[in-house]
Amino acid sequence: MRVALSLAVAFGGLAAGAAYWQVFRSAELSSSPDDAAVIAASRRVVRGEITDRDGVRLAWSVVDGNGELQRRYAGPWTSGVVGYASRAFGTAGLERTYDAQLSGITAPDPVQDLVKKFRSNALDPQAIRTTLVARLQQAAVKALGGDRGAIVMLDPRTGDVLVLASTPVFDASAIANPATATAAFARLQADPAVPLLPRATQGRYVPGSVFKIVTAIAALGSGSVTPATTFPQQPGAEKNGLLVAGYRVKDAHHLSTGSTALDLIGATEVSCNIWYALAGLETGGDALAAWATKLGFGAPIPFDLRTATSQVTNGGGTFGGGFADEVELANAAYGQAETVVTPLQMALVAGVIANGGVMMRPHLVQAFTGTTGTVEVGPDVWQRVLAPDLAEAIRAAMTQAVEGRLGRQFTSGARVKGMIVAGKSGTAQLGGPDAPNSWFIGFAPAEAPQIAIAVVVEQGGYGSDRAAPIAGALLAAWKAWAGR
Amino acid sequence: MAIWLLRLLFLAGLYLFLWNVVRVLLRDLRAAAQEPGIELGRLVVLSSPAGEPPIGATFSLDAVTTLGRDVNASIVLDDEFVSNLHAALTYRGRIWYLEDLGSTNGSYVNGSLVDGIAPLVFGDELQFGDVRLRLERAHR
Amino acid sequence: MTLRDLAVGRAQRGPLGRRREFGLLLVVAVTLVAGSASLRAGSASLAANGGVGLPGGSATASPGSTWLADPVALAWFIGGLFVAHLILVLSRRRTDQVLLPTVGLLGGISLLLMERLPQDLAGGLGLGRTQLVWLLLSIGLVAGVGALVRSDAWLRLYKYSWAAVGIGLLLLTFVFGHDVNGQRLTLSIGPLSGQPSELIKIILVVFLAAYLSENRPLLIEESTRVGPLRLPPLPYLAPMIAMWAIALAVVIVQRDLGAAFLFFAVFLLLLYVATARASFVVLGFLAFVAGGVVLYQLVPHVRVRVDIWLDPFATASGTGYQVVQALHAFARGGLLGTGFGAGLPVVGGVLPIPALHTDFPFAALGEELGLVGILGILGLYLVVIERGFRIAASAADDFRALLATGLSLIIGVQAFIIAAGNLKLIPLTGITLPFISYGGSSLVTSGLVIGLLIALSDRGPELPAADHRRGGPRFREASEAPA
Repeated sequence: MRVALSLAVAFGGLAAGAAYWQVFRSAELSSSPDDAAVIAASRRVVRGEITDRDGVRLAWSVVDGNGELQRRYAGPWTSGVVGYASRAFGTAGLERTYDAQLSGITAPDPVQDLVKKFRSNALDPQAIRTTLVARLQQAAVKALGGDRGAIVMLDPRTGDVLVLASTPVFDASAIANPATATAAFARLQADPAVPLLPRATQGRYVPGSVFKIVTAIAALGSGSVTPATTFPQQPGAEKNGLLVAGYRVKDAHHLSTGSTALDLIGATEVSCNIWYALAGLETGGDALAAWATKLGFGAPIPFDLRTATSQVTNGGGTFGGGFADEVELANAAYGQAETVVTPLQMALVAGVIANGGVMMRPHLVQAFTGTTGTVEVGPDVWQRVLAPDLAEAIRAAMTQAVEGRLGRQFTSGARVKGMIVAGKSGTAQLGGPDAPNSWFIGFAPAEAPQIAIAVVVEQGGYGSDRAAPIAGALLAAWKAWAGR
Repeated sequence: MAIWLLRLLFLAGLYLFLWNVVRVLLRDLRAAAQEPGIELGRLVVLSSPAGEPPIGATFSLDAVTTLGRDVNASIVLDDEFVSNLHAALTYRGRIWYLEDLGSTNGSYVNGSLVDGIAPLVFGDELQFGDVRLRLERAHR
Repeated sequence: MTLRDLAVGRAQRGPLGRRREFGLLLVVAVTLVAGSASLRAGSASLAANGGVGLPGGSATASPGSTWLADPVALAWFIGGLFVAHLILVLSRRRTDQVLLPTVGLLGGISLLLMERLPQDLAGGLGLGRTQLVWLLLSIGLVAGVGALVRSDAWLRLYKYSWAAVGIGLLLLTFVFGHDVNGQRLTLSIGPLSGQPSELIKIILVVFLAAYLSENRPLLIEESTRVGPLRLPPLPYLAPMIAMWAIALAVVIVQRDLGAAFLFFAVFLLLLYVATARASFVVLGFLAFVAGGVVLYQLVPHVRVRVDIWLDPFATASGTGYQVVQALHAFARGGLLGTGFGAGLPVVGGVLPIPALHTDFPFAALGEELGLVGILGILGLYLVVIERGFRIAASAADDFRALLATGLSLIIGVQAFIIAAGNLKLIPLTGITLPFISYGGSSLVTSGLVIGLLIALSDRGPELPAADHRRGGPRFREASEAPA
């Protein structure tokens, strides 16, 4: 009898297993781009078009000489975000994420999805209207030029991503064309600059001073430091460095601030490493790590594309928050040590300050349109990170870093005529003889922000020299686009 | 739409079958449950020259069952080669045992003489005098 | 006829109409016709929608039928079921009436599935027709064995001979067999080829049932103490362990993990049923875990299987491909399935899962019949198990009880192992889903198992076993009889 019972239990387990795969994991697996039905459908169906927010076509399908379908793209500047759809090499980017919708296997509306089974023609390819702005995307790729790097621009109020650029770019149409696909793909895979890596979402960079904004959020948010906090030992340490547990934290050669003890605004304006190291130590490893997690560090960001994980430390340390010791914490506080970030993550950090402490979930799609109608994707609050008054204090500091008397001499490139810009540049030392990565994060207009930006140029030198002017040019282009 | 009617018809047929089978199974189970008591085993008379007990009779066994010519034995075996209290069948720890109670002619299991006490399996053939019986599992 | 007939009372048997069986078979027939029509309509609508046709031509596209898929094969199969029913009626035995329709429905589902798959998966007649032939043979065995086998003595008495035959078959396969998919399972004798490990399952159960029923008192009664554990007396366990170890060792040499797992599970469960000693099961389970760890360390083949099981998605385009695709198939099926003939998308002319007809029929059914469908199919297997256990419970002696238990365990445990492997509940092993997977050896063995169960369910006459006739006692004249 017990044997019968245990067999019954075993079969119950089978039923539970079947229910798990057929109900709970059903939608996820059956719309995954690896699914055979999705692949089969994508071969015989005219894929939906992908457009920018104003209807400019980014990707569409054409019938080639053999009567077979293949994909065309508006230009190489779409490559980092739209990706490609190729018969031989599968899919990447938005083409991969929304393969099921573009080929009509799944409808975005769950009710439609349920009844489509009963329709005679089950496939309903969806067109996708993205949040991108083709003109700005093109401008961003052009601004990066021959350098490797990434640019993210998003609307901090809605999470709409307007620009997601990664260089070097590649010609996705060549991968989609069966005649050229093999050679083009082999060349791209062999390229040492790794053009197939979407740097905006999956590039992991040492942040340098742009990370100070994260430290500021943690320091103010945890209450360890106020905007008025000064450190008496700071002015004296400017010359020979600050001794932390036997290691000397040195400052870059920022403009002399003399014997004045700096507060948040002053320290941000001149990008004072010593003040931020002290603020980081005051905050403590646990709090810094916890607040970074609130901002999206430590896990892939929920987004339309796969994202790499940003981190403040490798973890495993016993000092608190995973830091190994005081020295690592002090260095991490101004963005060195083991801290690595994605450009998308840093655009979100700028966005959270711009939006009064509230972080919107970033997204790339405005609407899916099929034969059965249109489904809009609305804005969505992701995290409430910081109280509005604290966000306001950091916003003021970032404004000063671009527009202030001393800050202006640093980051003049980011300024835009007729609009006040807030931001922070960064020069991330890589160790060794390589030139540092050049960073800028910011938003505009500073008094009522509508656009946040993150720029990184690999080995572009000082943030103020390379990334800040690119940001200035793109913010100006945005102003022209928004004020049309 | 017509396709879906056919598909659902097939699934309905599958479950109609299962439902019918389950009804059969439940009926069998209920019938089994109505049989009184828990039987531990039974003895079937295979041969009995004197006619008492009659050939083909079955006896339901208690945990301790005595066999012999004496009227006080649980099962009376009217055979001249059977002693008054010939043997006992006892059920202990899921096993039946045959114990010879010092009979004159002995007790046999599958043709072998039992020395004192012997464990039994269902299907074993027991012989006391000229009476032959078989131990069987109870019908549940 | 015999004495026992009178005892049980022949009068209460009544007319032997087998009306239940007939009714259930009618339900089966109607269900299969509906399934066949749905298959025809499904593949027709797929073709009309511009779907890529199945490679190699499918029987479902055969001309001559407008609304049924291969009506000839269906007619043969349903006809075969009713002929089997007739044979059982004519045998005039009071045997089980549920098993034949249940396995008939399973076989019918198998027939529909094989007709629906690309026919060139099997040479000669094509997949569907080849399966039909084996299915008819299997149903024939169910009826033939169920009607004709009346005595179990030939099984019980020659247990060591059977064991020898089994081991011999295994050794033959090992030496003369040829490799298919890296497993040395197939043995060819002239034009015949088969997988002896299928037959060995039955032999193992027969041997264990005979041995355990004979030595049950000793196994329960006596014990060897090892520390806190009470073990059975070692001399009595030795032949069993030897049998089991040889089977296991050879099977592992043949790389047939599924059969090894099946043997082991059936062995342990039977041991438990015979002795009611949980310590055996615990000990056996520990031995299994230990053996598993050792095998994982030593045998690369096993390690690959286990790693795939732990995370198939890590190697989704490599070794984990089949398992991942099977999970996708279940996911595509959802609650109600895509319908017969409408699932299993063909990409570039190939099915998503290569070994669909042998190792993954459960996944294919999961896609086309949905959760509702495969729950029903699991229900059918549970019915087989329940019937087997009922037959065991009302068996007259221990051998028959253990044999019936073991036979139903073969079907139940085997179905569980392969279904759970498809669902990634346990590592995937290459054994067949009884009555559904493609393959002659498996169908014949399963038919034999069900036939034996039906024969064992007989409450009617049986010939007295021969060993009870051995040299009876001789008596002294007992003048002093009353002791």
